[in-house]
Amino acid sequence: MKFLLANLLFLIWASSAFAQVSALRVLDRTTGEPVIQAHIKSDEQTVIATTGTDGYFTINRDDYPVIIVTAVGYQSREFVLRAGMETLYMNPEIYRIETGLLVLANREGENNVQAYQQQHHAQNMDQFLDKIDGLSTNKRGAFAWEPVIRGESDQRMNLMIDGMQVFKACVDKMDPITSYVETSNLSELHIDKSGSDVASSGGGSSSINLVTRGAEPESFSMNVSTGYRLPDNYRSLSVAGNTSDRTGRHAVRFSGSYKKADDFVSGNGSQIDNSQYEKLNLNVSYRHRLPSNHTIEANYITDKAYDVGYPALLMDATKALADIGQLRFNFAPTDKSWRVETVQIYANAIRHTMDDYSRDVENREVMGGMHMPMFGETFTAGTRVNGQAGISRHSFEWFLDGYYSRAYGDMEMNSHDPNIEDMFIYNLQDVNTWQGNIGMKHRFMISDDLLLKAEQNIALKNLDTGSERFASFFEGLYNRGLNTRPNILLSASGNLLWMPFDDWSFSGSLVYSERMGNHMERFGHYIYNYTDGYFYDGNPWLKTERAINTDLNTTWETDSHSISLSLFHKQYFNYIDGILSEGTGNIGLDFKRYANVGDATITGGEFRSLNRLGPRLSIENRVSYLYARNQTLDEPLPLIPPLKGFSTMHLHHKGNRLMGEVEWAAAQHRIAETASIEDATRAFAVLNLTWERDWLNGSLTSILQANNLLDRHYHTHTSIGNIPEAGRSVMVSLSYAF
Amino acid sequence: MTFLRWAGTLTAFALLVFTLASCDVTNSSDSEPELDLVTIGSVTSDDYKISLESESTLETGANQLYWKIERGGDLVTPELITITPMMDMGNMMHSTPYQQPEVAPEDDRYYSNMAIFIMASGSMGSWAIEFEITLLNQEILTGEIPVEVDSSWRLTSVRDDNDKIYFITWLHPKQPVTGNNTLGFMVHTRESMMSFPPVENAELEIYPYMDMGGGSGHSTEFTSPEAEGSGYYEGSINYSMSGTWTTSVTLTAGDITLPEVMFEYSVQAQ
Repeated sequence: MKFLLANLLFLIWASSAFAQVSALRVLDRTTGEPVIQAHIKSDEQTVIATTGTDGYFTINRDDYPVIIVTAVGYQSREFVLRAGMETLYMNPEIYRIETGLLVLANREGENNVQAYQQQHHAQNMDQFLDKIDGLSTNKRGAFAWEPVIRGESDQRMNLMIDGMQVFKACVDKMDPITSYVETSNLSELHIDKSGSDVASSGGGSSSINLVTRGAEPESFSMNVSTGYRLPDNYRSLSVAGNTSDRTGRHAVRFSGSYKKADDFVSGNGSQIDNSQYEKLNLNVSYRHRLPSNHTIEANYITDKAYDVGYPALLMDATKALADIGQLRFNFAPTDKSWRVETVQIYANAIRHTMDDYSRDVENREVMGGMHMPMFGETFTAGTRVNGQAGISRHSFEWFLDGYYSRAYGDMEMNSHDPNIEDMFIYNLQDVNTWQGNIGMKHRFMISDDLLLKAEQNIALKNLDTGSERFASFFEGLYNRGLNTRPNILLSASGNLLWMPFDDWSFSGSLVYSERMGNHMERFGHYIYNYTDGYFYDGNPWLKTERAINTDLNTTWETDSHSISLSLFHKQYFNYIDGILSEGTGNIGLDFKRYANVGDATITGGEFRSLNRLGPRLSIENRVSYLYARNQTLDEPLPLIPPLKGFSTMHLHHKGNRLMGEVEWAAAQHRIAETASIEDATRAFAVLNLTWERDWLNGSLTSILQANNLLDRHYHTHTSIGNIPEAGRSVMVSLSYAF
Repeated sequence: MTFLRWAGTLTAFALLVFTLASCDVTNSSDSEPELDLVTIGSVTSDDYKISLESESTLETGANQLYWKIERGGDLVTPELITITPMMDMGNMMHSTPYQQPEVAPEDDRYYSNMAIFIMASGSMGSWAIEFEITLLNQEILTGEIPVEVDSSWRLTSVRDDNDKIYFITWLHPKQPVTGNNTLGFMVHTRESMMSFPPVENAELEIYPYMDMGGGSGHSTEFTSPEAEGSGYYEGSINYSMSGTWTTSVTLTAGDITLPEVMFEYSVQAQ
């Protein structure tokens, strides 16, 4: 008996000894420091180990060929464990070489090429986004640039704050929601260019999710920053602080910023009238950890912008107000196969008031001789729940998402002619949107170096107006009765990741998406489109627009070098665009209606490289290109940026950092002659220099920044109305942290 | 036992609430008329009070008239009411297009009819509506009620080369509002001072337009009215905004196309 027991114990010991139990180490990619308390999870999201103070953990590679590593402050990352692998590098969620930000290519970070952006607290979010490859911005002045992902803007992309749906209130697109989050308040930036993240962000649209910084269970810390720029007298002051009690159960974070700028000056010394702005942003976040380790987070953002000039538009914003609140309950990690991880409820209200009282309306070509004050507002409330589920031996992530949104917009027209009665129009009257989504995300490890991800999303969406009178306008316009019904929208994606070597990966994704027209395309009325000069009416009977996106990426990444190439092609069916209205005999006004106009394509790619040539020198290059075509009109789509890029050189020495950046774009001659009034744009290149220096052991940072050093006069192709960019500017910033 | 007592109490309470809610504390026969009318005029004939009411003060164009007969405060149902609107211009008198009263579908205590006044009261003359009421007891009441008619934008006229006049009445919407409006016109002509027959099977071409000032202006979606019979023509106009609109009307009667006439009016936002 003793012999048998001894043999059994020996077999158990031997089996464990010969199993591939090995120690691995998790390190911070940027600092090389060990990542402490990182959770090592199976691909079913069960925690199987935790790193120690030296960053090490042990694991049986046979049992867990694929692991997911998560850690506070780092981007979650999935690893295929190979023989000989000893170190796992983690990328910080927010990459801060003092003021730098790491932009994540996608949520999982498989294509985790770092796009280093020299980012300052004083820089606006839209300026920051404009420098990310694959992104551009449609500009209407110095403020609130509208982000565009691979040529898709507005209704074809999903802009979110902390996953919340927030809808702009201005029918003229003056208030993209990116303006409501300050860069100093940004924790993560999730950019899904291909739309493959269909399960969580829904719909298969490309998306930007601005993840704000929440309260952290840390001791008291504070940061005060201020900046001043010439010649537009831009001045800013921002304050952020975080504190918690000794147990870390209660934590509070507060941030506030104030910015004000006068009219900016273009490269030829011309002052651009009506380009001023003033903005106040406040954010309060509270986090409470329960004894059960569940956490409750409450977050409130209020953003107030006043006297915002839009030189490209007919009018300026006198007041843009946003109130955005959310409550989030984070369940403590468990190893149950069916579990809820996060429950979030939110509500937000956006109000936008604008007028043309400071404009010369008498000599205006469009609707001259009158003032046109406008008002718009949206209210949105929703909830998001996500978790894990397991059926048999397969586990997957699930997402539930639902929201309701109400939109309103009106415009007065007060003629200077006393014989003309005041006019009034509803651009949007009691327009309601309901949407509910169910999404699932699956992972299948096909082999040691091949991972397949599959995501599905089913959405039920309805749009209507609560005003019978407003509905009757569309009934009269299209001569049919309005009977709105919910649409079922399907989207799915498949993503194949092949990692033949540790430092080289290939991936490809295929995304199918369906989109119904948004509230402006369906129920917008008399809405001026600055890209083509037409007034638009919605069409409640639009068919679902469908799209198939294919995306290929290859990435080579070592500790010092990173090179990535992405190519994509997107084919639209039932593309929604404006067509000319007939027979309305207008004078000085042109009208279009939204319709399914046929098919369209967007093809393009991005190249990124980062090379660290030593401890003090790194070079970064980014290039992107888009080729877009309206196949029905046989012409390019409008507002597509040309070949463009950035080349940046970073020099680090002791407490000094020097960055030189060349921003360039080729000429754009591919213009939409039929569908827009855009024109060709010349090539340009501008030089920017930044010098940063740390003082007081790094507590105090000074930044001297000179943009457009050669004072070039130019405009980007996506500048509506060809409003020129700012000429040479010099800015001094100070940031003190304690 | 306690549960039964509570259940019984709740049931009794529910029944009481249901009973109270079901009771109609008002007697429908005694309720005030649903119509919101203003009194245009009234006269007393024998012991009967004959009242003429309308939804608003009378104006040129179409007006819905409501007749009520009372005796000693009690409503009296007549067998027949016949009326004749007359304009006394001193040197001449004439009538106007009108219908004879019938039991009002909105409220059977009234008789109602439409009258299209082709001119306003004033220095040119004054309007009165003559009536003859046959009661159920075959007693006949006669008389007239003087009425004031204001001018409005809802009526216009046009003459052909033979000086034949056509009256074009904007029947509805009485108050145009933003959105789609069903458009109704009445067209009458004049055969004599007392005869204004409806014009049937004519063609109406319309064109709505808004002058926004500053050289800007636009039309909107519309359908030209088509004959529905009895001089009534129906189409639609889809107003995109509030403000002052004009709608031109070109009438073709027989083979004759008459000169364009214009309605100018204000559209309200709703």
